[in-house]
Amino acid sequence: MRYNRLHVILFLGPILIIVAVLCGMIVWTVAVSMDNWVGMAPVWKFIGFENYATLFKMERFWNAFKNNLIWMVAFIVPSALLGLLLAYGLSLSGRAEALFRPIFLYPLALSFVVTGTLWAWMYDPEAGVINNILKGFGLGNFIQPWIADPKQATYCLIAAAIWQYTGFAMTLYIAAIRDIPIEIFEAAKVDGASALQIFRHIVVPNVTQATMVTIGMLTIFSLKVFDLVWVITFGGPGTSTEVLGFFMFVATYRQAFVGLGAAISVVILILAILVVVPYSWWSMRRMQA
Amino acid sequence: MKIKKALSKLPLIILLTLAAAIWLLPLYTMIANSLKTQQEISQAQYYLPPRSLEWVNYVTAFGVLKQGLQNSVLVAVPATLIAVFLGSWSGFFLARMRFKYSQAIFFTATIATFLPYQVVLYPLTRLLMALDLINTKPGLILAYLILNTPMAMLVTATFFQSFPVELEEAAALDGCGPITFYWKILLPVGRLAIISTAILIFTMIWNEFLVAMAMTQGPAAQMATPVLAGLKGNYAQVWHIQMAGSMLTSLPSLLIFIFLGRFYIAGLTAGATKG
Repeated sequence: MRYNRLHVILFLGPILIIVAVLCGMIVWTVAVSMDNWVGMAPVWKFIGFENYATLFKMERFWNAFKNNLIWMVAFIVPSALLGLLLAYGLSLSGRAEALFRPIFLYPLALSFVVTGTLWAWMYDPEAGVINNILKGFGLGNFIQPWIADPKQATYCLIAAAIWQYTGFAMTLYIAAIRDIPIEIFEAAKVDGASALQIFRHIVVPNVTQATMVTIGMLTIFSLKVFDLVWVITFGGPGTSTEVLGFFMFVATYRQAFVGLGAAISVVILILAILVVVPYSWWSMRRMQA
Repeated sequence: MKIKKALSKLPLIILLTLAAAIWLLPLYTMIANSLKTQQEISQAQYYLPPRSLEWVNYVTAFGVLKQGLQNSVLVAVPATLIAVFLGSWSGFFLARMRFKYSQAIFFTATIATFLPYQVVLYPLTRLLMALDLINTKPGLILAYLILNTPMAMLVTATFFQSFPVELEEAAALDGCGPITFYWKILLPVGRLAIISTAILIFTMIWNEFLVAMAMTQGPAAQMATPVLAGLKGNYAQVWHIQMAGSMLTSLPSLLIFIFLGRFYIAGLTAGATKG
């Protein structure tokens, strides 16, 4: 179909304006991160990398940074693995698949605030559901302080996120397994391969793309995690469950250290670029293919 | 033979059922306890079903959440409609027209889609302040529009790319330009793609918390998610009201998931796999 320059402006104008605004905001954040801006009113006083120097000397920053890394590993690996196992299990279960699928997927439709409200109660050490059930079934020995223990708390938050996101990985893997030609499975069955062997030698090698997508999306998620921390622990006990997104919000909006908050945003930005740019490149190339 | 085959599946079904029970436990807890009396809650046997249905809990929770839910509708619906319109408008051009810079625009939009909100949160706040739109519903609509249109473009473009080339060929023969083509052919043919994208974007905005909280203060423009977070604080330990509030806030997205799940999944996979 033929089009002229006016069409280009008309059709691509809106998205280009929006992308330009977003780029402008990123530049703005980078600029503010080098300013000594404290308080509500803008302060444009250039101080170079001083905010970063302050930040890198803060134990609180490194704690949040470390928690983001913990999120990446402890959240992504189990979610992806469970998602793959469930997808394969469902594909073997025949007609039961239609029944099970929504059960593992529904948490994804919930808001993190709902998940947070729900799991904050599940984990409550005194009046929480999990300890309550353990007690009710005579398993009192397994009672834990859960989110009240600084050592466990981050992992408790991660478990809630796994509960919410496994269905996402599962959905991607189900689509990937469906794309594997049925003849391969049939041939393997004729050769007498067990379900486990089929999983190991046919399913796993053929779902690499889904794995890439899952890991990419979940990494992005673990970089911006905020809501669950806010609602369940508010960063506590102490600052033990804080993540960069949370620290940035508190520094900027609660304590009005705008320059410092912008520096944290830039750290998040750099981490995100490390993931998002290769991911976008990869998915764009795949789109052309 | 048939029985033997069914039996061989039994361990798998048992495992899946166990996992499903774990996955359903929070939902069960939420529903069951949202319908209990204060007295039942204080007996702390949360795994038991409610003895009678205390719908009055929902009345209490709705009293708190009413304006937030209303604001969420008034923000999420227009923001979704405009984002999906603008997104599909540009997405159509990128997916169906041969254009030199398509790739570059795609690439940039993908990055914009997946950037963490924290990176632009404060400048967005300042922008809304400068426009005198902070703490207003139009301000929230604008914020969500900026943040979600790239994703709407990406998802619709993914769908549009899979349509057959013959669409344009026939249209070009009739002398139909891109604008007529978008309205008269693409929108009707692609309505399932549009619905899937709209559902995805709507659920994302409805469930969003960070922007909703950062851009508002007080009840006038606050959306349901910050109000629910506040309810959790104000009704500390009053679990049945918290759960009723959680149910009310989840209702729109859960209903979408139950009745339009097919579209929801289609949008989700298009957004993730191709985006």
